Amino acid sequence: MDLMRPRAAATESDPPRRRDGELILSGRGDYLDDVRIPGLTYAAFVRSPHPHARVRGFRTAAAEAHSGVLRVLTGREAAERIGPIPHFFSPTNVGGKTTDFECLASTEVYYVGQPVAAVVATDPGDAEAAAELVEVDYDVLPPVLDAHQALQSGAPQAFSHWDDNLVVRVAFNEGDVAEAFESAPHVLRDRVKIQRYGTSPLEPRGYIAQWNPDGRLVVRASTQMPHPLRSALAAMFDLPETAVRVIAPRLGGAFGHKFHGYPEEGALCLLSRLVRAPVKWLERREDAMLVGAREMEHDLAIAFDDEGVILGLRDSIVCDVGALGTSAGWGMAFVAAMTFPGPYRVPAYDVESLVVVTNKAPWNGARGFGKESACLALERAVDLVAAELSLDAAEVRRRNFIPSTAFPYWTASKRLDSGDYQAVLDKALALGDYPELVERRRQARAAGRLAGVGIAFELTPEGGDFPGGLARGFDTSTVRMDPAGSVTVLTGVTSPGTGNETAIGQLVAAELGVSFDRVRVVQGDTDTTPYGFGNGSSRSLNLGGGAAVLAAREVRAKLVAAAAVALECDPGCIALDKDTVFREGGAQMPISDLARFVYTTSIAHPAVPYQHLEATCSYAPEQNLLHQPDSAGRTSSYPTFSNSAHVCAVEVDEHTGQVTLASYAAVDDCGVIVNPILVRGQLLGAIAMGIGGALWEEARFDDRGHPVATSFKNYLVPRSVDLPAIRVGHHTTPSPFTLLGTKGAGEGGVAGAVAAVCNAVNDAIAPLGARVSKMPLSAPNVLRAIREVTK
Amino acid sequence: MSKLDSQDVPGRRITVTVNGVERRAWCADRTLLAHFVREQLALPGTHVGCMNGDCGACTVIVDGAIVKSCLQLAAAADGAEITTVEGLGEPGNLHPVQEAFWAEDGFQCGFCLPGHLLVALKLAEQQGDPSEEEIRAALAGNLCRCTGYQSIVAAVQRAIRQTEGT
Repeated sequence: MDLMRPRAAATESDPPRRRDGELILSGRGDYLDDVRIPGLTYAAFVRSPHPHARVRGFRTAAAEAHSGVLRVLTGREAAERIGPIPHFFSPTNVGGKTTDFECLASTEVYYVGQPVAAVVATDPGDAEAAAELVEVDYDVLPPVLDAHQALQSGAPQAFSHWDDNLVVRVAFNEGDVAEAFESAPHVLRDRVKIQRYGTSPLEPRGYIAQWNPDGRLVVRASTQMPHPLRSALAAMFDLPETAVRVIAPRLGGAFGHKFHGYPEEGALCLLSRLVRAPVKWLERREDAMLVGAREMEHDLAIAFDDEGVILGLRDSIVCDVGALGTSAGWGMAFVAAMTFPGPYRVPAYDVESLVVVTNKAPWNGARGFGKESACLALERAVDLVAAELSLDAAEVRRRNFIPSTAFPYWTASKRLDSGDYQAVLDKALALGDYPELVERRRQARAAGRLAGVGIAFELTPEGGDFPGGLARGFDTSTVRMDPAGSVTVLTGVTSPGTGNETAIGQLVAAELGVSFDRVRVVQGDTDTTPYGFGNGSSRSLNLGGGAAVLAAREVRAKLVAAAAVALECDPGCIALDKDTVFREGGAQMPISDLARFVYTTSIAHPAVPYQHLEATCSYAPEQNLLHQPDSAGRTSSYPTFSNSAHVCAVEVDEHTGQVTLASYAAVDDCGVIVNPILVRGQLLGAIAMGIGGALWEEARFDDRGHPVATSFKNYLVPRSVDLPAIRVGHHTTPSPFTLLGTKGAGEGGVAGAVAAVCNAVNDAIAPLGARVSKMPLSAPNVLRAIREVTK
Repeated sequence: MSKLDSQDVPGRRITVTVNGVERRAWCADRTLLAHFVREQLALPGTHVGCMNGDCGACTVIVDGAIVKSCLQLAAAADGAEITTVEGLGEPGNLHPVQEAFWAEDGFQCGFCLPGHLLVALKLAEQQGDPSEEEIRAALAGNLCRCTGYQSIVAAVQRAIRQTEGT
């Protein structure tokens, strides 16, 4: 057995069900809104009605006179009492620029919905009503609402004190691109636009801030990153971090929406200080829908030979990140470019990402994190090659995949750890009945219907490490066995509802030879858990799980040493299993007796280790992280790369543009699987989210910069009737660079779904000579593409 | 003190039978059933996800009908019989519908769960043999962002099987 592999790895026939299932199933989940605190007061925010304006002044008397109102706080006043919001990850870390962002805007507003003032009242309804009464005088400034327009000289400035609207340009390149395009037999171009859309977790954000009599700030926050949020709040209030406690209760979904960096976070803490009472605020659905992501347009060119082998690739990605803000969102523009050239061996490529500010609400992280945008562009390009040469789309991918023998495989910005892309695609084609889909497409077309089959392959960089900010590729876990032999795991990674606490419990139980129910996993409290970077980038098992396994192994070593004394044998003869300590071929004792033996006998018995049964370990897959460029100028900020292949079939109604998804299958390689139930759930959910983004979800704005999508009535997420049964499978190539051989699950699947559906729809309308690469493929957009060629 | 429990706004005392227990409580006239259940009756298992009737996380059963409690005034429920997710089963004694959702991994974050459980309960009680399409149609008013619905459909199918003949 490979000693580095987790004992819980994988193929357990009977993996445990989700932790806390009984609580969640019986309505006892204890989400943020369920927390009961005496003396609670409620906040509401006054938000800018203009996409861009100078703030001239506030009139608050009417609001202050409203019944139940305790305090009105304007941006002016807040600016004197609280510092700017620290960045989740500043663009300056990659050579870009930024500006100060305030919790409540004091002088200039950059987007509709930006908080400029806030009200605290004894009742949430009164707070909302009084917020309506706050009058703000604005000098309206010209907004810029489109990234291409924003890049032109003479365009309005999104931030009036900047000289232009470009935050940063990042570029990744390799090989002689000019030469590749000049000598290539074929060159094709396309523009692929992915729309602005977010993640819409069913539970919106929420916070309860309070100041304890001892001067400590305690914040309950539906956040994915309690420790970095603590750091940010401490900086804003100029407090030592020890004076701030952030507690993240159970989250009702997150998907990046609950990364920190929001203006409300600091504002609520200030309000609580001013009213000397706990203050609660729940994000309304319309507030949640302000949060953008992903709006990118690719100007793409691909050079290839007669056999469909890619020779060169160019892409210029214009990313409309809205008003930047302090959240993680803009980083998606960086990751989108970095993800190129995906799973393919491309000898020459030049990809740039332009991060452009406009007067729309800022982005936050969104599952996929730009990788879906890269995947969509790449997979469209590969399909264009196939169509141009009349080759099978799967065959063109085969001809360009990085072969399984070539790993680890360097590109300019990453070292791909392991994989067998061909095998993953073949499995997906088999699972999706590809020949059958092609035959059914033939029949449908013969009957005069628009039917299409789409394939996509997704490469998903996971576990990212970004020095210079608090978004790192390591994490820390503590494992502790008490005198009764029960185990507590405290970890810096958090669960947004995915169930990683179940898998971490499994890993630790297996390392210690104790039953799963004996292990408790604690997350999300900065007073309790080690400093950690929370949830994101499919990092929880890779990093928090890895750290927990290392810590469990240290505890195990102490147990084994003590057991050798208790059972009078060589440590090599000790086995721990099923809550029992076994001496090879003889005596045994319950693990609880051994734990008690250690606690009660050490020091008194010189051979029993004088150490508590506790260890804290950090873990990073540092072997595959490279931040200082090597001799070839290459770096790698992601240690591992999951991947997946997707096959789907659609029908398109020629007269309405309506797309019906007829079948869907996908196979992923997320490395070693610890809990197949959880991993399957992640993949299914990611695919559903990708399909939603491909077909319906869109956070539109009107031409005056006002958001149009403000509820689930005009922002359409998939419902049960919109999705077909999805078949999923796995192919495992362990990562050689992560402790557990895992590659990360959770994020993978979004990107492939976006691209596969887009390819299928384009395949369906191809007989008309139509093409659509403006997402989403909603009925109006598809119909427009059809009408362009059939008019 | 929240106005929900104060009496300085127009309101009334109403009587409802919740999860088999008669409860009498005061509610402001403007109070929505979702907030009444969560705050006044202290049953936080009913979740609020959109306040618009779109997401279904606040689903309860009122006099036998599936109701989105964010769309109904509490005062309109005076005299009604209400089932919330807390009425199904509790830790250590889960209802078969809850067990089915656990067994099929029919939830992740759990925020949408009250709605899906109560729709499943209704389907299971009807003792029919719905097709997958019919199950999906029954769930169409309830959003889930985690599962892609597949495991929810499987859970409903299992719930129907497990409650057959009971």
